[in-house]
Amino acid sequence: MSNRITVLSILLLALAFVTDAYAAKDRYEFDDPAQREAFLKLTAELRCPMCQNQNIADSDAMIAQDMRRKVFRLLQEGKSEEEVISYMKSRYGDFIYYQPPVTMGTIWLWLLPIAFAVIAVVVLIVRKQQQRTDSDAEKLAKAERILEQDKS
Amino acid sequence: MKKVSLLSLPLIGFCLLIVFLYKGLFSDPRALESQINNRPVPEFTLPDLLNTDITYTPEVFKNKVTILNVWGVWCITCAIELPYLTHLKESENVRFVGLYFDQDLDPDFGEKSLPQIQREVKTMLTKYGNPYEFNIFDIARETALDLGITGAPEHFLIDKSGVVRLHHIGDINERVWKNKIEPVYQTLLQEPERRLGRE
Repeated sequence: MSNRITVLSILLLALAFVTDAYAAKDRYEFDDPAQREAFLKLTAELRCPMCQNQNIADSDAMIAQDMRRKVFRLLQEGKSEEEVISYMKSRYGDFIYYQPPVTMGTIWLWLLPIAFAVIAVVVLIVRKQQQRTDSDAEKLAKAERILEQDKS
Repeated sequence: MKKVSLLSLPLIGFCLLIVFLYKGLFSDPRALESQINNRPVPEFTLPDLLNTDITYTPEVFKNKVTILNVWGVWCITCAIELPYLTHLKESENVRFVGLYFDQDLDPDFGEKSLPQIQREVKTMLTKYGNPYEFNIFDIARETALDLGITGAPEHFLIDKSGVVRLHHIGDINERVWKNKIEPVYQTLLQEPERRLGRE
């Protein structure tokens, strides 16, 4: 039993290195660590147009391979991260980058939750106030009734 | 009155959500808006696939309405559409130009030799039909990236001025041709060539 657990834990540990091995398959050589950083960041944030929901670092599609190579070349030419992103956007649209731009169409992604929370708070406050006045009125009515009883 | 409107608020919200989700059932998540539409074909200088002494530039798209077909021998759907494309070329005189790229020919570590690719291409075109006026060989797959392709087959309907007017991802069959491509193709045939400065 403990043997099995050892094997399982080794396998799980090995899994942790799988992604590293995967990313290393292209064997790009970078001029400096900053460029390497930028490459890893960009390939993680750019989306594969063929295998949607995978970034280009993860995808094995030919187009992802080509895009990785292009990102590498552009960085070597001294292009900034923004320039690489806009290069890809001009070919594949906003879709290609995981961070959606704020436009008239997408602003609702941020505005709707805020609007929802604001409306919820307003509704809560209004209801609370209604309850208070209701209970006051009720107490008053009760007192009146008791008074009436006393009179008779 | 106030109470009724307040109560109906969640119901209205629910209905809107239903409409939104219902529309989502029929939307195609793979349908991307192509960035190349209404832009001129990107600059390139590439050799002919079968005779590398010949070089092509976007000038080849001037004066004629062209369908640029991105394909490769490794692409199964491409083989399936070849007979229909050949039929279109023969019956309606549609001008097809191939943009060929190979999967195994890695730009960094070339694996397949050029004669080998040429042999494979010739075999395939003899077997399934040859709709192409000529094939442009996108050696490093750079032009494919500039066009914004995601795979093969893909088609670009190019007008007489060398501007991409329609980007179709996937094969051309009778249904696609009749519904999507032919209407645009026919209008492009009527259009005169526009003079425009390249960017």
